[in-house]
Amino acid sequence: MNPDDLLRSRAKELLNSKQVRVVLGWTASPGSPVSTPLFARTEEDADRLKVDETCSLNLANYLLRFKDEERVAIVARGCESRSIVVLIQENQLRREQVYILGKGCTGVFVQGVKSPSCAQCRYPNPVIYDEMLGDPVEPAEPDPALTQADAEFDRLSQNERWEIVSADISRCIRCYACRQVCPNCYCPVCFVDASNPQLVGKTHNLSDNMLFHIIRALHMAGRCVECGACHRACPMGIDLMRFNRRVCRIVQEKFNAVSGVDLNYPPALTRFAPDDPQEFIK
Amino acid sequence: MNPRIITKDELNRLIDQLINTTKVYAPVRDKTGARWAKISSSTEVYLEEVNTRDPAKGFFFPRCELLLKFDQQGCPVEPEPPGATVVFGIRPCDARGLEFIKKFYTGQDRNDPYVRARVEQTVLIGVACSQPAPTCFCLAVGGSPHSQTGLDLLLIDLGNAYLAQPVSEKGEELSRTYPEADERSLKLASELREKVEAEIRTRIDTERLLAILKDGFNSAVWAELSKRCVNCGICTLLCPTCHCFDITDESVRGKVARYRVWDSCQFPFYSRHASGHNPRFSPSSRFRNRVMDKFYYTVEQVGEISCVGCGRCSANCPAGINICQTVQEIMETK
Repeated sequence: MNPDDLLRSRAKELLNSKQVRVVLGWTASPGSPVSTPLFARTEEDADRLKVDETCSLNLANYLLRFKDEERVAIVARGCESRSIVVLIQENQLRREQVYILGKGCTGVFVQGVKSPSCAQCRYPNPVIYDEMLGDPVEPAEPDPALTQADAEFDRLSQNERWEIVSADISRCIRCYACRQVCPNCYCPVCFVDASNPQLVGKTHNLSDNMLFHIIRALHMAGRCVECGACHRACPMGIDLMRFNRRVCRIVQEKFNAVSGVDLNYPPALTRFAPDDPQEFIK
Repeated sequence: MNPRIITKDELNRLIDQLINTTKVYAPVRDKTGARWAKISSSTEVYLEEVNTRDPAKGFFFPRCELLLKFDQQGCPVEPEPPGATVVFGIRPCDARGLEFIKKFYTGQDRNDPYVRARVEQTVLIGVACSQPAPTCFCLAVGGSPHSQTGLDLLLIDLGNAYLAQPVSEKGEELSRTYPEADERSLKLASELREKVEAEIRTRIDTERLLAILKDGFNSAVWAELSKRCVNCGICTLLCPTCHCFDITDESVRGKVARYRVWDSCQFPFYSRHASGHNPRFSPSSRFRNRVMDKFYYTVEQVGEISCVGCGRCSANCPAGINICQTVQEIMETK
């Protein structure tokens, strides 16, 4: 059975047996470069479900909207499952609320180009699931190009790095798509929207733009699962994953932690261990 | 005003001459697309993409504009006037967007001095589209890949040369030294127009849509359509006609600067009142507002729909929401 047929038949069974009220998946969006989410509640809906390389968003982004439903099913690739793990660890969701239809992933392609985050992916298969749709996939050899580019960037002087990042960030139009597509960015009022007191200026000047992006990156420390949804969503083509990759690398080096891969291992910044590096205490 | 023929070499020389005397902006190559930038040589011009990432509206209505500055002594300082600007390589849909911005801010009894100053100082040189993007639908909303609206000069690529159609006095002045176009070139230009127009197949019955929207405020369709929306501001901020702004003061060491910045009705706090009440807090009410504004509210306000069919909202929506499909579903639901 081809993957979409399998997904459709399982979705129908789950809905008909009332195991779940809704199945979160994808469907084609004619005229759009990416697929669109579909929240299937009926057999007719379920017949339109699909999952493929044009599913660019991280579907876990929508899960918290269904918090009040008894149980929801979600199609989850590696990234989605890791985001779900983070949401469960942060008490936003209970494991039994979600029925995870796992799917091995060979990467997201937007207009035929593989997303850079996917080219480095180490977790193409869901880390937690209730059942797998089809076989797990073999993790591909990570593309060394991005690692090399990062290493080259690190070798630059502080001023040179600042120049590169500034040129990128100064183009931000503050649409907040990066925040909105992030499954783990769920604050009811984001620091950037706070108005009493106002924490970040609303202008598009470099200082305000930079403050937003740096604080967001720091808020993602130990939580970002490197799905790259923010990077793909950015309409200005800003390399948002540059920040996130760096933050993830630091968390791994300092705390030996990778976010969202183990339900029983709390996020790095929420747990204390006697052997944590204490170098910030001088 | 007679159409002229400008060879590509001559055009590059013209751009370089303009650069010597004024600020010239054009689409330049970006990592994966094109964006607007001030250029210092005609070689930077990049016309391979149909749309630049950011719309051209910023030339009349910048995303962040300094309105005034003052310090503890008071004495407001008004910003420098914008200065003469040439925008080269603008697409007809973006030019129609600028025409809308101009009308909205300076038409009838409106007189926004900041927009007016830019309108007066700017020359728009358009380049007709030869290959539409899959998301393009200008023909469905009263435009055309060869539309002249809002432009000073329209260039049509004939291969080795451009057919230059002056639209305004400014355009006439720029092109008058070049030879007049011959019959063959004119015929070729009109054939090219037919060819490219045939490639845009989307049609929208905007009259019927207007009638449906007029009493569709409480329709159940909005909740259904907005379910997938992630509530970012891409569709509005990248829209060539969306014109909402916020005013914000920044204070640095006793000096205060007041800015006007783009805002978006898709943001939950856009409509929050000082009392804390927010009449448009639900995602579906915000989604409804965007569609209503494009195809109904601005018809009441300035007499025309405010969608130019550039397709940026559809091409960039992270959730794959396509405006043409949205409109289709609205028409089918009622």
